[in-house]
Amino acid sequence: MLFVKDRIGGMLLLIFSITYGLLSQQIHLLPFQANSAFHARTMPEVLSVLAIGLSVLIILFPGSDEKPRFAGLNWGLGALFLALMSAYGLMVRPMGFLIATSLFLMIGFALLGERKWWRLLAVAVPTVLAFWALMTYGLDVFIEPLPQFMKGS
Amino acid sequence: MLDGILIGLGTALTPMNLIFVMIGCFVGTFIGMLPGLGPMSAIALMIPIASTLEPSAGIILMAAVYYGAIFGGSTSSILINAPGVASTVATSFDGFPMAKQGKAGKALAIAAYSSFSGGVIAAIFLLVAAPFLASVSLAFQSTDYFALMVLGLTAVAAFASKGDVLKALLMTVIGLMLSTVGTDQTQGVPRFTLGILDLTDGISFLLLVMATFALSEALIAILKPNDDSKRQEEKDASSHLGSMAVSKEEVKEMAPVIGRSSVLGFLIGVLPGAGATIASFLAYGTEQRIAGAEKGKLFGKGSVRGLSAPETANNAAATGSFVPLLTLGIPGSGTTAIMLGALIGYGIQPGPRLYIDQPEVFWSVIVSMWIGNIILLILNLPLIPYIAKVLAIPSRFLLPFILFFSLIGVYFVSFNTFDIQLMVLFGAVALFLRFLDFPMAPMILGFILGGMMEENLRRALLINNDSWSFLWERPLTLSILVIAGLCLIVPMVSPLFAKLRKAKPVETPTAD
Repeated sequence: MLFVKDRIGGMLLLIFSITYGLLSQQIHLLPFQANSAFHARTMPEVLSVLAIGLSVLIILFPGSDEKPRFAGLNWGLGALFLALMSAYGLMVRPMGFLIATSLFLMIGFALLGERKWWRLLAVAVPTVLAFWALMTYGLDVFIEPLPQFMKGS
Repeated sequence: MLDGILIGLGTALTPMNLIFVMIGCFVGTFIGMLPGLGPMSAIALMIPIASTLEPSAGIILMAAVYYGAIFGGSTSSILINAPGVASTVATSFDGFPMAKQGKAGKALAIAAYSSFSGGVIAAIFLLVAAPFLASVSLAFQSTDYFALMVLGLTAVAAFASKGDVLKALLMTVIGLMLSTVGTDQTQGVPRFTLGILDLTDGISFLLLVMATFALSEALIAILKPNDDSKRQEEKDASSHLGSMAVSKEEVKEMAPVIGRSSVLGFLIGVLPGAGATIASFLAYGTEQRIAGAEKGKLFGKGSVRGLSAPETANNAAATGSFVPLLTLGIPGSGTTAIMLGALIGYGIQPGPRLYIDQPEVFWSVIVSMWIGNIILLILNLPLIPYIAKVLAIPSRFLLPFILFFSLIGVYFVSFNTFDIQLMVLFGAVALFLRFLDFPMAPMILGFILGGMMEENLRRALLINNDSWSFLWERPLTLSILVIAGLCLIVPMVSPLFAKLRKAKPVETPTAD
C-alpha cells in the first residue's frame, strides 16, 4: 500500500512545499524590514512549514488505501489538447483571433473524432465570427482579428 | 430596510439588469446542465463578461448564473443521473427514479418549484440577517477579521468528508501559498516571481479558477473514452420528458418539506465552509427520518419529499452563503469565494462597509435573487425541454468550446498570452491532483483569503506595536480563534474516538 493516491499527492505537494520554503529565503529584505515582527518573508515561512507538516502527515497517515487508476484513459489525447492549448496561446497574436481560434476549434473537434471537414468548418468559423462580433461590438472588448502581416499600420 | 429594498428594486429592475438576470439564469442553467461543470465553472466563465459591466450589473449577472447553474445541475441529475455538481447528487436519489418511471417532467417541475421556494424563503432570511450582521460586524477590527479568516479556512476541514480533512487543509495552505506570489503589498518586495516579469502582479484569481475548474473538468471528460450508449441515453432522456403538471396532493406533501428544508438550508449555508452539498444531504436525511415508515420506504424510489427536500435546501444554502460574503467579506464556499474575487476586481471590498458605502450593490444582489428565482420558474421551466437538448450535443463539439471559453476568458481580462501558458500548466497540475482526489475548492478559498489575511494580520500587528498579544487579549478575537481551533481539532480527533469506541466491547445491560 505504498503508492496510494494520498501518498503520491502528498509527496508531490511536499516537494512543492520544500521548494516554496527554499525560495522564500530568497525574498529580498531591507535591513529595517528584517527586524520587524512581520515582514514579506513571515507568511511564506509559516505557510511552508505548515504545508510541509501537512504533506508529511498525509504521507504517513493516508485517508484511504485507494490506488490511482490511470489505465483506460486517453492520456495521449489529453497531452495533445494541452499542447494544442499552449500552441493557441502562442499563435493567437501572430495569427489573429479569427484564424487561430477557428484552427484551435477545428483541430479540437478533429482530435475528438469529427472526420467531416465541412462540419469542422461549419461549426467553428461562424461561431468564432459571431463571438468576435459580440465581444467587439456588443461588449466593447477589442481583440485583433487578423494576422500581424495583414494589420494596417 | 424598506429604503434598501427600494434601492435594490430600483437597481435590479432596470431593463438592462433584468436582461442580465435572464441571460445569467439561462446561461447558468445551460452550463450547469453539462455534467461536470458546476456553478463555480459557470461563474468563472462569466467573469470576463461581467468585468466589462458596472459592478451592480456584473454581480447581478453572476448571482443569476449561480442559481441558474444549480437549477441546471438538478436537471442533469434528474434526466441522466449525472449530477453537474455535488450539491445536486441528493436530487438524483429520487429524481432519476422518477424520470425512469416516465415522470421526468413532473420531477423537473417539483425540483423547480422547490428550488424557487427555497431560494425565495432564504432571500427573505437574508434580507433580515444580512443588515443585522453587517451592523454588528461594524465593531470588528483587523484582529477579528484575521481571526474570522482563519475560521473560514479551518471550517473547510470541519466539513470535509471523512479521510479528507488533511487533504482539504493542505490544499487551503497551497492556495494561501499561491496568493503570496507577486509583489508584497506593503513592502513592495517581489516574492516567488522567479525573475518573470509577468508574475510581478501575482497570479490572477480568474486564471486559477478557470484552470482548476472549467479547464480541468473539460480535460477529465477528454481523458475518458467516449461512451456512445450513454450519449444515446442522454439524447433519449432529453427528448421524452412527459407532463410537467404537479397534483394538489403532491403540493400538499411538498409544502412542509419546503418550509423545513429552507430553514435548514439557509442556516447551513450561512456557516463558512459548509454549503449546498451538506445542506442537501442533511435535508434529505432529515426528511427520510421524519417521513414515517410508509413514506420513508419510498425514498430512493421516486419520492416527492426525497426530491423536494434537497432541491429546496441547496438553493436556500446557496442564498445563505451570501450572508458571510456580503456582511463580513468572507466567502463561505468556493462559489462565493469566486464572487468575492470578482467583487475585489471591481474595487469593491465586501464587508460591513458595503452595506453603508455601496447600498445599491448590497441590495440589488438580494433583490436580484428574488427576480432570478422568479425568472428561473417562469422562463427556464417551460424552456427545459429545449435547454435539455444541450445534453444531446456531441461532446466532440462541446469540449473544445469549453476549453476555448476558459482560455479566452482569461486572455480577455489580461491580454497577456503568458496567462494562457500558465493556465495550461495549472490545468495539467489540477487534473493530476483531481485524479488523486485532492479537492480544489479549499485551494481557491485559501487563494482568495490569503492576501486579505496577511494584510489584516499585518495591520493588527501595527496597531498593537508588533505584539502578538491581541490574539488572546481581545475576547472577540480569542473566541473566534477558539472556534477555529475546534473546527480544526474535532474532525481530526473524532475518528480516533470512534476507533477507541469500536475497540472497547460494548456492555449491554442485562435484565436482572
